[in-house]
Amino acid sequence: MMKYLVPAAGLLFTLQNILWINAGVFIGSIFAAIPGLSVILCVILFLPVTYSMPAIPGMMFLLGIYCAGGYGGSVSAILINTPGTPHAAATMLDGHPLSQKGRTKAALKIALYASAFGGVFSALMLLFLGPQVARVAAQLGTPEYFMVCVFGLTIIAGVSGKSIVRGLLSACLGLFIACIGSDPMTSYDRFTFGNSRLYLGMDLAVCLIGLFALVEVLAKAEKSRGALRLDTAKMEDDGKITKEEYKRMARPVFLSSLIGVLVGIIPGTGASEASWFSYSQAKNMSKNPEEFGHGSVEGIAAAESANNAVTGATLIPLLTLGIPGDGTVAIMLSALMINGLNPGLSLFTTDGDIMYAIMLGLILVNLFMLLQGKFLTSLFAKVVSIPQEILTPIIVIFCMAGAYSVNQNYFDVGVALVFAVLAWFLRKLDLPAVPILLGMVLGSMTETNFRRALLISNGSPTIFFSSVFCWIFVALIVFAVAMILRGKWKEREKAKQ
Amino acid sequence: MKGRFVSAVLAMVMTVGLVAGCGSSGQESWKVTCPWAPSGVAAMVSQKAAEKSTTYSENITLVAEAIKGDAATVNTWVADTEANEKEMVFAGEGLFSITSILDPAKMQFTYEDFAYVENLYSSIFVLSAQADMNIKNIADLEAFAASGEEISVAVNGATSSEAFLAAALFGDMGAGENLKLVAYASAAEAAQAVAKGETKFAVSHQSQILETYQQGGVSIVCAFDEKPLENGPFAGTEGVGEKGYPYFRNRCFIMARQGTDAAKVEELKKLYDDILADEEVATWLQDTMLLEVDTMSEDQVKEHIESVKAIVNEYKDVVTQ
Repeated sequence: MMKYLVPAAGLLFTLQNILWINAGVFIGSIFAAIPGLSVILCVILFLPVTYSMPAIPGMMFLLGIYCAGGYGGSVSAILINTPGTPHAAATMLDGHPLSQKGRTKAALKIALYASAFGGVFSALMLLFLGPQVARVAAQLGTPEYFMVCVFGLTIIAGVSGKSIVRGLLSACLGLFIACIGSDPMTSYDRFTFGNSRLYLGMDLAVCLIGLFALVEVLAKAEKSRGALRLDTAKMEDDGKITKEEYKRMARPVFLSSLIGVLVGIIPGTGASEASWFSYSQAKNMSKNPEEFGHGSVEGIAAAESANNAVTGATLIPLLTLGIPGDGTVAIMLSALMINGLNPGLSLFTTDGDIMYAIMLGLILVNLFMLLQGKFLTSLFAKVVSIPQEILTPIIVIFCMAGAYSVNQNYFDVGVALVFAVLAWFLRKLDLPAVPILLGMVLGSMTETNFRRALLISNGSPTIFFSSVFCWIFVALIVFAVAMILRGKWKEREKAKQ
Repeated sequence: MKGRFVSAVLAMVMTVGLVAGCGSSGQESWKVTCPWAPSGVAAMVSQKAAEKSTTYSENITLVAEAIKGDAATVNTWVADTEANEKEMVFAGEGLFSITSILDPAKMQFTYEDFAYVENLYSSIFVLSAQADMNIKNIADLEAFAASGEEISVAVNGATSSEAFLAAALFGDMGAGENLKLVAYASAAEAAQAVAKGETKFAVSHQSQILETYQQGGVSIVCAFDEKPLENGPFAGTEGVGEKGYPYFRNRCFIMARQGTDAAKVEELKKLYDDILADEEVATWLQDTMLLEVDTMSEDQVKEHIESVKAIVNEYKDVVTQ
């Protein structure tokens, strides 16, 4: 490795690369901050720009978009209670309440610092442990993936609000929505009613716009204009984070970064799962779990560090095994292949300097993201001071454009509107929307891996206990459930007192 | 009242701005829609072709786009496109030969809705086996199939081209009853499944199994072609056609909308032919993507579709069992 680092640094530290990194970071931040305009869409749109570039500047540009997208999604989550990207949904739970307490800049700052830490942490993991970690991750198969999903479903308890039963009801609705489309194991249609637009199921980004963004507009329509103005006036702060808060964030940030890396190296999972796992664990391990959902600094830090820690980790299986860790990285694969580089361990010997330049570059990307974020955060924070009569139509237009742009059809705009109405009714019934999102994120993956595992084992459930990794996940599930029960017991005790 | 007025005006201005941005620029840009994964083989080759289009044409610029959705994407494309619109779309035997038989309701189009332009590439799929099974050629495979053991094969999609190639091969060996197709969400996942020991075999593009092969996780048993593979890291691998087993190549047809001027279709075909004849593109296709340049006439395309249909009709019961 050391013999490649010096030539790799020589390849990386050029003005061209630095400029492309910064261009990528800027574009990624803006795209991810706009609900519906996902990071993957941004990478697809800007991929042709890299065709004529050599591999390193091309990858630096795309990595800039990818990493900054991790942070950018949190901006709208904090400011307008709408995650710019699905993986920023967990950030929204505490980011927006903290913003409503008049600490918008502080919330954005926490998200930025946590994102940068998570990103650098995962970049270092990629640099020093990439090939070794990838070999272990490659052993995870269908039953292990299913256990990861079950572990993920335990998070529902943590985001259900006051009533777990209501949370479970919402989650079931999410799981049902995840069933719409082609059956993943047989390709037969389910609940499509012959509508070809539904063959691929409900697009998460589109549903998100309805569930969290447009429903806010509907809710605002119910309020008097005077009340809306009061909300806006409160949002002014110096962005200061106290020493005590930094201390409180340290442990969740580190643990969440680790969780982000572990989730990210498992192909097929992604930043959404990582941020929810981390958020749930941070809540379970916090001394102040009651603050979660009401503007907890630990909650924001945990979710953000985890979703950015995924960025480096998804590159581990890509660069070492040629397996893309998530959809965005799969598209980046083509930027390498178009330059004649076929990722895999063999590439570390044939083009080691390029591989290490990319890995070193990821650290640089995160540092530039931190720098840009520091300057742009104050700019973003100004969004909240825009009068509601101007801000609301902008949000609506961006939501519509975002929903349309996902698959470039008006059907999705309709879907977003239907989900907005659905979310509005659920609010009236006091059913939380976040578990719906979780059900949708985990539903398809859970079902596919469950059915495929049983197909592989010819129906024997023992396959779910067939490896050391399965048992590790069983232990994690038991631990998570125990923590939930302990939390509920504590809540009950407090209520009695 | 003033606030509401400002809101309404702003919304209208932004909507008009958005709609105005949707208009065409008047340039001869042809959008090429790939209805499969943006990270897939077809999307990558399409990107490469788009990159080269300005080198070979002063009039036409190809713009590659990928919207995952298979039949759904093509349905939308057909519904939204008219003759002479500067739009093209990919389709292959998966739609024309497999979906048209197994799930025709899913297709709101037929071959007659398109004007054939060119075949972008040919891919010869390979069958890989767990390395420790020591199955390295068709003779070994026949012996294994004859043993009556369960034959689990990882494929990308339950009713994909890969699934039918596996069904045709093992069905023709008389082992169709023992065949268990395990569907994965992507070709890369299916290729990995065999190395993890979840299945005994996998059918995949050559490029997707290459890294696993180089790590020693799998052996390459045979190729789904007439003759042994001539190029690349798997050169010399036996073709199943040599032993009389059914096979087909995976192809990617570039289609314009039916009714588009014949001269324009011819111009597009020439552009693609020039791009595919480019030495850099051909080398990239062969060495990096492990694909072949395989330009075809429309008659050859129709023949390909019909021959795959025959295989699908014969082995559909094995795939859907």
